[in-house]
Amino acid sequence: MGKLTNRTRLVLAVSSVMFLAVLAISPFKDFRREWKQYKHSYLRFAQTRPDTKKLVADYRPDIDQIWLPGMNVVDRCTTCHYGITQASLADQSVPQPFRAHPPIPHNVRDWGCTICHRGQGPATEVAEAHKSTLAWEQPILPTRFIQASCGTCHYADLPQTPQLTRGRALLAGLNCQGCHRLPGVERPAMLAPDLTNVGTKVSREWIYKWLKEPRTIVDKDGNVTVNGYEAEDEPRMPKFRLTETELRGLSAYLSVQKAKAFVSYKLDARVVAAWTKNPELASQGELRFRQMFCSTCHSLAVTRAGETKLIGGDIGPELTKVGSKVNPDWLITWLRDPQGYLPHTRMPRYGWSDEDLFKVTRYIATKLTDPDLLTGVPQLGQPREDEIQLGRRLFLEKGCASCHVIEGLNPQKDFGPDLSAIGGKNTSELEFGASKIPHNLVSYIQAKLQDPASVNPAARMPQYNWNQPDLDAITTALLSMKGAPPTSALQNLVVPRKEVDFHPTGAFEEVYERYKCYSCHKFNGYGGDLAPDLTYEGSRAQRQWIVDFLKNPQTLRPTVVLRMPQFNMSGRDAATLADYMTMVLQHPAANPTAVDAKQFTLAMVALGKQLYEVKYQCQSCHTIGGTGGYVGPNLSNAGDWLTPAWIEAWLRNPQALVPDTIEPRRNFTADEVRALTAYLTTLRQSIKPQKTASTTAKHAATQGAGR
Amino acid sequence: MASTLHSALQNLRDRKVWKSIFRRGPANTNRTRSLAVFGNLFLHWLPVKVREKSLRVRASYYLGSVSFILFIVLFVTGILLMFYYHPAAPHAYRDMKDLQFVVSNGVFLRNLHRLAAHLMVFAVFWHMFHVFYRGGYKPPHEFNWVVGVVLLLVTLLLSYTGYLLPWDQLAFWAVTVGTNIISAMPFVGDKIRFLLLGGNIVGENALLRFYVLHVVILPLVAFLLIGIHFWRVQKDGGLTVKPKDDDGKE
Repeated sequence: MGKLTNRTRLVLAVSSVMFLAVLAISPFKDFRREWKQYKHSYLRFAQTRPDTKKLVADYRPDIDQIWLPGMNVVDRCTTCHYGITQASLADQSVPQPFRAHPPIPHNVRDWGCTICHRGQGPATEVAEAHKSTLAWEQPILPTRFIQASCGTCHYADLPQTPQLTRGRALLAGLNCQGCHRLPGVERPAMLAPDLTNVGTKVSREWIYKWLKEPRTIVDKDGNVTVNGYEAEDEPRMPKFRLTETELRGLSAYLSVQKAKAFVSYKLDARVVAAWTKNPELASQGELRFRQMFCSTCHSLAVTRAGETKLIGGDIGPELTKVGSKVNPDWLITWLRDPQGYLPHTRMPRYGWSDEDLFKVTRYIATKLTDPDLLTGVPQLGQPREDEIQLGRRLFLEKGCASCHVIEGLNPQKDFGPDLSAIGGKNTSELEFGASKIPHNLVSYIQAKLQDPASVNPAARMPQYNWNQPDLDAITTALLSMKGAPPTSALQNLVVPRKEVDFHPTGAFEEVYERYKCYSCHKFNGYGGDLAPDLTYEGSRAQRQWIVDFLKNPQTLRPTVVLRMPQFNMSGRDAATLADYMTMVLQHPAANPTAVDAKQFTLAMVALGKQLYEVKYQCQSCHTIGGTGGYVGPNLSNAGDWLTPAWIEAWLRNPQALVPDTIEPRRNFTADEVRALTAYLTTLRQSIKPQKTASTTAKHAATQGAGR
Repeated sequence: MASTLHSALQNLRDRKVWKSIFRRGPANTNRTRSLAVFGNLFLHWLPVKVREKSLRVRASYYLGSVSFILFIVLFVTGILLMFYYHPAAPHAYRDMKDLQFVVSNGVFLRNLHRLAAHLMVFAVFWHMFHVFYRGGYKPPHEFNWVVGVVLLLVTLLLSYTGYLLPWDQLAFWAVTVGTNIISAMPFVGDKIRFLLLGGNIVGENALLRFYVLHVVILPLVAFLLIGIHFWRVQKDGGLTVKPKDDDGKE
């Protein structure tokens, strides 16, 4: 072995120094880690605050983490978001990441961050924690969808999450369940119109137009086409991307759906003869249409000052152009007996006279029309056999059968993908196709909802017409569906949905179904929320009052716009409903034996009146005999309307009877309660049946039209 | 200066402790030098004498030594990593995250282990090609060639079993594919796959088995074979040196 040359020594020396330098990189990087910078700046920031002492005393220089072994959570977010629990840092002016969390029902230390906000909890680097979808599939959930996280555990609706509730309502209302598996979303009894007899109702040309453009509403000139407007309510029927051949096939198939023999009702010839020549026929029909409060459920488009608006309820379909849509004979049959055509319809069965029926149907057929409705629809002629066969096949393949029923045709099971865990899907599990959207779950859901073909050209899903708030709401609801929680600890925290439980039987059920009371009223948590909850109506109202009201409904709350329709109910039906309510719909807190109206003395009544008018000033919200406020119901007739037991229980604690009532709880003494009850039971207003009703109705009708 | 160092060393060698450890006197003759090598556990693997030309870079490119040094690096970093790693499904990936985000120099440690593993596979292959092209498989080296080939397989298996341990998608699918390839073997394929995975899916049992293979069984086998491999190098007469190496040219 020779001696080392100087050159070799130099090479060795330089490489050794370089090696040491390379080794030093890692400790140096370790020393300058990102989270340490945030710690230092937090300390500097704390010096500028008035409560520096407390902030510094709470400060720890190392990594801060929330470790919840039961929930598999290790969140190091609070390493940088260090002021998250410091009440003094809640102000908006405090810069992030030091701002405190806004107040929520959960304690941050008990729940961690990522359970709600997603993102990579164990990370101590900003980009990794917030954005990474490479080594951690769930980036931070944008704040505008944060209510989705509430819905992951709270299956029941919360008052604090309107967006989530709206999204869930959309999922249910649009029958997403028809094609997709969505646990917890209720499938409505009636999905979409039953098409078993649709051939008797509308023409083939109308079907063609409707399938092609279910909502051509967005017309710039304000032209209303087939049905409805761009309104607040959800556009139910989506647009399917159909070719001309497919349109012809489906319209042919649907136009021959006439399973049930159609018996057209013959109106009394004398009535027809008497009214046909009458120039007032249409205007009288319109008046009756309004008097019957059709607008409580159905809306009409009204153009005023160049602005077109929908006026009326959204329980039934919008009717502006229904005269150009339906067959007039079908309309008469339908109005007389809606359940005869559609067994599940929410439309009540009215007791019509031939005169009213003729007037109203003529009004609908002549005034609620649009001559341009079917412009652009080719003459389709008689459906050919091959077109019908194609239509039948398409009806199943396009998913029509998932929402619409045609007797004898069975929809495919699980037509669309299972969405029960869509909210927790990893990016790698999603198909983005050729679209240029950012690769994350939120963009995917929104792109798919807006234009299903954008992420998958072969998508069978039809196109819906969303406005931005609804799109965000339904995205929120979908994001909340993360399937069953991953760990048993979380499973125990789930707040389940309320079970629907109201199954009346007997004579009551028959009348209840006929008038579809549940379309507007709630019973034991089941039913609509347009009208008062009737779960405890039997405790609240006296039997005779219920009977009178049902036969001739008047409004109890002057400021409410949508009114109970005039059903022209028979005395027997009213008695059946009233008997059932007084027997069954009782509240345990209102004990009928607790109050004996016979013991009330005149002195008590006088004291009650004095308390009402002077001490508690009830008249600021309630009206008696024409004076008083409009916030609460009119009490002029309280003595005939309310049961003494209800009044007494209500005065003691209104929230025990109706938890969300705005009536304040006043802590009356027992004597005061008795006196007020005595006074209220004396309040009576004699009702002059028909006459009052029709003037009220007229008044309301003009008011209704003027809305 | 040199003489002080020399006398200090001499002084040390006269001590009782020194003599109890190094039984022989100074290695100043060929005999005592040989005895010094034979009498030392670590040195006795090495030849007493080597030809100078076999030490030249071109004779071996030190590929065997490079592989061994990488193996030692892997051994040391692997032991350090074992302090932070649980071979259990709920923890394994989280431990990767802890190494990345919390452990001091954790990323460096993990990358060192990973890069050394890649390099070792590369070095071992290169070593094999080099030996092959120099005819190092010919007698008397044929047994050592076979040991070397087994060592190559052990290296690959170490690499493969380590691949599952981060417990991420890459690991999961790599092992799914790999074990499915095994099951394509006729007759015994499914049995071996079952044995390897401790079940029929890549699950918690598979993770545990791969972990034990990676940190216990395969390293032991590797150490044993490396020992034999080194020992046989000198017993078979050192490196294969070609006649033309004599003039220093190839």
